[in-house]
Amino acid sequence: MKPNEKPVANPVVVLREEFDDWAVLFNPDTANAVGINPVGVAVWKMLDGEHDLAAIVSEVKEQFEDVPEPVAEELDGFIDNLAEQGFVGEETPAQ
Amino acid sequence: MATGNSNGQAAGAPRVMRSPRSLDVEITSRCNLRCKYCYYFENPQVEYEDLPAADWLRFFEECGEAGVMDLSIAGGEPFIREDLRELLKGVVRNRMRFALLSNGGLIDDSIAEFLARTGRCDYVQVSIDGSRAETHDACRGRGSWEGAVRGVRTLQRNGVGVAVRLTIHRYNVDDLEATARFLLEELGLNSFGTNSAGYLGVCQRNAGGVMLTTQDRQRAMETLLRLNERYDGRITASAGPLAEGRTWKDMEEARRRGDEEWPGRGHLTACGCTNSKMAIRADGAYVVCNMLAHAKLGRMHEDSLVDVWQRHPDMMAMRHRHEIPLGTFEHCKGCEYIGYCTGNCPGLAYSMTGKINHPSPDACLRRYLQDGGKIPGIETGAPAGGGQLFPIMNGGLG
Repeated sequence: MKPNEKPVANPVVVLREEFDDWAVLFNPDTANAVGINPVGVAVWKMLDGEHDLAAIVSEVKEQFEDVPEPVAEELDGFIDNLAEQGFVGEETPAQ
Repeated sequence: MATGNSNGQAAGAPRVMRSPRSLDVEITSRCNLRCKYCYYFENPQVEYEDLPAADWLRFFEECGEAGVMDLSIAGGEPFIREDLRELLKGVVRNRMRFALLSNGGLIDDSIAEFLARTGRCDYVQVSIDGSRAETHDACRGRGSWEGAVRGVRTLQRNGVGVAVRLTIHRYNVDDLEATARFLLEELGLNSFGTNSAGYLGVCQRNAGGVMLTTQDRQRAMETLLRLNERYDGRITASAGPLAEGRTWKDMEEARRRGDEEWPGRGHLTACGCTNSKMAIRADGAYVVCNMLAHAKLGRMHEDSLVDVWQRHPDMMAMRHRHEIPLGTFEHCKGCEYIGYCTGNCPGLAYSMTGKINHPSPDACLRRYLQDGGKIPGIETGAPAGGGQLFPIMNGGLG
């Protein structure tokens, strides 16, 4: 993920909250599904084209206790992984 | 970090997903065929009515909002609905995938091309019960084999995933080898599924002429196990002779070794469906399962899908069914297989005994052996006691 990039969730992907605060992200176009934990759910809800990585990290630190220090790297990897699977993209500026 | 159950469920209740992952949807109560072993028709507790498209489309919105991932759309025959395209567009619009269960006879290039274009169709399951018209049409009616095969070829030509289900009965039990060859070699399917005619719906009236006898069942098991070896596991089954042939061999070997109770056995554990899915009848009634179509939980647009799913007492009771020990049933008294048994399908248990919370006599290994059946690959004598194929019918057990 580039420094100022503000990722956006693929609007076709369904966030299916299942047990407790765990959830499944389901892409009906590809039938791909991934399980995510409560932090993943919170991050997913911030993929609105308004938050860059720094803002997401800051929100996660605010919402959850005992967040380990390499959180920025982990979240960067998590979002990159979602992007590789087509769950996340970047908004294209209007021409 | 947020933890705990936010579903508002009482302490000690089984963990329940917030909404079903999948729904079995009977989109219509109409069908172009009248099969002799149809589980769907002739259930006196079911109202055979269809809902207008507008009702289904509104319901699909509710499903989408609840996060339902996929629908298995059956009937009746789903392709009989003139508004099927409109309905499927509603499914797609609400971010779900779907599969269709069909007899194949009404599938043409136009609808197959439409299905392919949706990009959301997992597969269409077509019922083919024989290698030739004679064996298939014996229970499904003249011309139905030709229609089913044409349907499969049409789907294949248009790039739609095809699954085939073979229902084994008295008329096709000797055609299994040729059927496997036809499906896997001639039609080129990757695999096909098998089951056998079950004591439900129309089949109850025709049971004596249609359902497998103990000897038929043994023959079907032997043939399917042999064929599955030849075809590298391309024949599948979760119930019926192939599944029984495998499971019963394991159970008998466990009994001979004196194994302790297997995990997840010895109780009514056969069906875990109610942890991830439920069903909707064509008239809009929510039910536990298509095989328990009498068990109404509520009605579309009158009751919330999520509320029914999370809180209906009958749904909750089904989720506790696995806690009921088989040893408490008269049917299972003294059975040496209890520790390896699941009690089998609740739908068949109900149709044969009038009770959901009861083991199904249909797939009972002890009864099969008492009736003179043999397990392929095992030399065994029949346990003492004799018995009949269907000693217990509706309401028969006190």
